[in-house]
Amino acid sequence: MAYQFDFAPVFEHTNLLLSGAGFTLALTAVGAVLGIGLGIVGAICRAWRIRPFDSVFGVYVEIIRNTPFLVQLFFIFFGLPALGIKMTEWQAAVLAMVINLGAYSTEIIRAGIQATPRGQLEAAASLALSRFQIFRHVVLRPALAKVWPALTSQVIIVMLGSAVCSQIATEELTFAANFIQSRNFRAFETYFVTTALYFVMALLIRQLLMQIGQRYVVGRAG
Amino acid sequence: MTMTRRPFLRSLCGLVAGVAVAGVIGSTDAHADVLANVQKTGTLRVAVPQDFPPFGSVGTDLKPRGYDIDMANLIGKELGVKVELIPVTSTNRIPYLTTGKADLVISSLGKNPDREKVIDFSDAYAPFFNGVFGPEDVALSKVEELDGKTVGVTRGSVEDLELTKIASPKVTIKRFEDNNATISAYLTGQVQFVATGNVVAAAVNDMTKLRRLGAKFLIKNSPCYVGYAKGEAALGAKLNAIIAKAKQDGSLDAIAQRWLNAPLPKDL
Amino acid sequence: MFVQFSTWDIVRNLLEGGKWTLALSLIAFILGGGVGLAILFARIARNRLLQAFAKTYIEVFQGTPLLMQLFIVFFGLSLVGVDVSPWLAAALGLTLFTSAYLAEIWRGCVEAVPKGQWEASSSLALSYAQQMRHVILPQALRIAVAPTVGFSVQVVKGTAVTSIIGFAELTKTGSMLANATFQPFLVFGLVAAGYFALCYPLSLYAKSLERKFHVAR
Repeated sequence: MAYQFDFAPVFEHTNLLLSGAGFTLALTAVGAVLGIGLGIVGAICRAWRIRPFDSVFGVYVEIIRNTPFLVQLFFIFFGLPALGIKMTEWQAAVLAMVINLGAYSTEIIRAGIQATPRGQLEAAASLALSRFQIFRHVVLRPALAKVWPALTSQVIIVMLGSAVCSQIATEELTFAANFIQSRNFRAFETYFVTTALYFVMALLIRQLLMQIGQRYVVGRAG
Repeated sequence: MTMTRRPFLRSLCGLVAGVAVAGVIGSTDAHADVLANVQKTGTLRVAVPQDFPPFGSVGTDLKPRGYDIDMANLIGKELGVKVELIPVTSTNRIPYLTTGKADLVISSLGKNPDREKVIDFSDAYAPFFNGVFGPEDVALSKVEELDGKTVGVTRGSVEDLELTKIASPKVTIKRFEDNNATISAYLTGQVQFVATGNVVAAAVNDMTKLRRLGAKFLIKNSPCYVGYAKGEAALGAKLNAIIAKAKQDGSLDAIAQRWLNAPLPKDL
Repeated sequence: MFVQFSTWDIVRNLLEGGKWTLALSLIAFILGGGVGLAILFARIARNRLLQAFAKTYIEVFQGTPLLMQLFIVFFGLSLVGVDVSPWLAAALGLTLFTSAYLAEIWRGCVEAVPKGQWEASSSLALSYAQQMRHVILPQALRIAVAPTVGFSVQVVKGTAVTSIIGFAELTKTGSMLANATFQPFLVFGLVAAGYFALCYPLSLYAKSLERKFHVAR
């Protein structure tokens, strides 16, 4: 059973791998922007106890965090059509990622908001800043700055977790890998290349988010 | 920036080096005689599917059952050895074989030239009757009429290979992870048509009232083969002898009747 | 040809799968915690080489999918002539994954200990080890408890990928049953309930610890 490595049959499908990687990145980008946006809304409702949204977000967070992403994806893709909501596998994948990341970032950002001392709010109010200005400069930015590393990690977890979307025929990177190895049976070669691609993507995302954090979040939060 | 870039490069180099080392050592691996080994240990380890009825599925006790499992037991009986079933998925079935963790893969494998470079195939042991199914009120009788339509199929299955071969690029093929996802996609209206085994379609029609699977046209009968490691000529010859005998004495026909509700085709 | 499954048959088998999920989670958490601690010490050590090693370790095992890690440990080592049992491979893969994340979470906690504490303790002429043991770690530990328990929820869910090396844990059992019964909603609804039953108590525990810590502060 001497196994001869041969990467050529994998590289025949380079285009598929690259487009898969591109789709994974796109899914992650859309999921991250909308998911963190949702997380900010959720975190404010939770941290400021805005009724009834705080309890709605509380239940949402617990349900999503304590069940597997795969099941969430199945219910969106196979379950929602029963209610008359039909979507393509891409829309389902994006929605699942937004909902998933939204729950985690609600909790992460809430912790950041609650860590901002109350005195700062009072000080800001005495400076005659508008409510929106207070929110933006005194609440949100310092909170995001505190939890930016945790958010970055969570985005990478979601990126790696998006592999599951291949199960509903979303043609992202893991789909490409499984498609290729189902054709040529080169599982090792395919997975080595795929793992390397995921790794490079994780490093890229970390770098990019660190830059964004430095530039727009941490830097000005002072 | 420079501080963070260094580990990046270093880890990348590490990964590449690891792959290279694995490649070098892996290719010098010793040659083993699987058949002699099976007879010596008295155990035949067979990788079988557990999520692909009727070829391999689970009973209420979660033990594998199906055409492929019966085939594994038939081969074990002929060799006079015990059969150890290893439940596998379409993702890991070949690695089990190429790393010597399994002696055979009986997992409704179809063959193509690329696959034949990695493992060897026996003679055909099972027919695969599959077709394209869709709503009963939609007329569709040949593959050309699928243009512009969406068909769901289980990724890597025989029907995936065959449909990919015959369908024009105008057909959108959605490849799902397993039969459950493929069938669910059809039942919930996510795809217009599915390509699957006749027996699977019949069983689904029995079980659910959601949306019926009406037979549209048959994909050519594409047989399945037993997979074994490269360079095991003795094992291959023995397997082919066993399969030929089982075709003659009717035992393979009995398996086909049991799981496919159809006799074994004469030309298999 | 297709067997009929009663709801009890489905539940019974899922409970069986749940046991594997639980066992794998415990292994991941105990071994991953131990190794994670070692990586943490390397990461915050004053030795540059140790730091770089820990940093690379964390980056590699956080940056690649656990599924691929398991695949390479189980099948890859086999190719180079090292035969690994599924249990060993699962333990190894889950340990690498868990320890990388825990080390990073804990590093954040150590860094959250105010700088003044370091300065104060070094002015007392404590050695690095003494500072760690008596001043920094006890404080970091308090901060670390809640996120650590929180991460354990991710570990429980993460064990699902061990099906690639043959474990029929909760998710895999669910997919086998769904493919045998074609009742995905019932099966995966129950799978979700199973994970919820395993994870929710952990989440609650994390919350109560978090509250306790805030009060203590």
